[in-house]
Amino acid sequence: MRLKSYGDMNLQDLDVMKEISSIGTSHAATALSKLLQKEVRITIPEINILNYDETVERIGHYEELVAATLVRMSNEVEGLMLFIFKMDLANAVLGKLMNRNYQSFEELDEMDFSALEEIGNIIICSYVNAFTQLVGVEIDLSVPSSTINMLGGILTVPIAEYGYETDKLMYINAEFIMDGEKLSDGLLMLPDIKSLNSILEKLGIS
Amino acid sequence: MADKDIKVGIGDMKFTRGDNTIITYALGSCIGITFYDPFLKLGCLLHIMLPNRTDPNDPKVFKYADSGIRESIRKLTAFGMMKNRTIVKIAGGAKMFEMKGSSDFGNIGQRNAAMVKKILMEERMRISAEDTGGTYARTMLLNVANGDVIIRTVGKPEKHL
Repeated sequence: MRLKSYGDMNLQDLDVMKEISSIGTSHAATALSKLLQKEVRITIPEINILNYDETVERIGHYEELVAATLVRMSNEVEGLMLFIFKMDLANAVLGKLMNRNYQSFEELDEMDFSALEEIGNIIICSYVNAFTQLVGVEIDLSVPSSTINMLGGILTVPIAEYGYETDKLMYINAEFIMDGEKLSDGLLMLPDIKSLNSILEKLGIS
Repeated sequence: MADKDIKVGIGDMKFTRGDNTIITYALGSCIGITFYDPFLKLGCLLHIMLPNRTDPNDPKVFKYADSGIRESIRKLTAFGMMKNRTIVKIAGGAKMFEMKGSSDFGNIGQRNAAMVKKILMEERMRISAEDTGGTYARTMLLNVANGDVIIRTVGKPEKHL
């Protein structure tokens, strides 16, 4: 294998991932836009290969309460997709769906929570669908699992899952724009190292 | 006092004497282990991420329960810690996401907890209090002045271990 860890990715690899992610995230924005029946735009994503602490600090802080949806990838790409909602994004999407205003995650009832999980799932699925078409791989997705908890604790899940392979995470940083407001989100795509190599190979980089 | 807090990152260990607080934030599936020798007022907080070090050349000893606990004990012993009077407390090992249909996923917390207990038993150190499992993250603080261990979680009052 050419790459032994996310940290080995060179500029060309990152550029290609950025290209694909940009299409993936715009599909996600379209899906969100259909669901909310309003214009949703998205900025060009940045691909960041960061360690655990850097990822936490980039998204927020350790004890910050966030919602997160996790989906497992299998078949030709093995790995995890993790979508993180900060309060501003959660309020913008849930507010529109439920016709309410939310100040904090503690206000969410079960219905709000499953709506948020479904939105996270839609974002992940549309991203992965675009990805599979572009790369030409089959990816199966698990049912989503979600939680509302400390950001630091949530990010230990992917870092521990691949802890024997790599200390880095691939954080795709794009911002949704709704009503002229930039809303922070966190999408983490985490193929295992074997899958990452085969993705880049399929795209003609080796 | 915030300016006296010594922060321990993931897969790291810090120890100190005196009026300090050692803190590690948002333990998810990871485990925080505190060692406190009340006679010396010597306190240590170790934050492990995985059960065992499979590559003996991996320099990150504190990332793993087995090498991390042994190395912490070795260092603390060099500073005069006596095992028989040292108080050990552990926290963390949560399962942050419940995955339907793949029961093996996300049980790293449980495996971490089992390994921590096994190694501590091998080292003949008794765990005097623990707060492990569950589905939520924990912040763990050790007040080195008095040995008090505090656990902070979302939506619950602080807990003294």
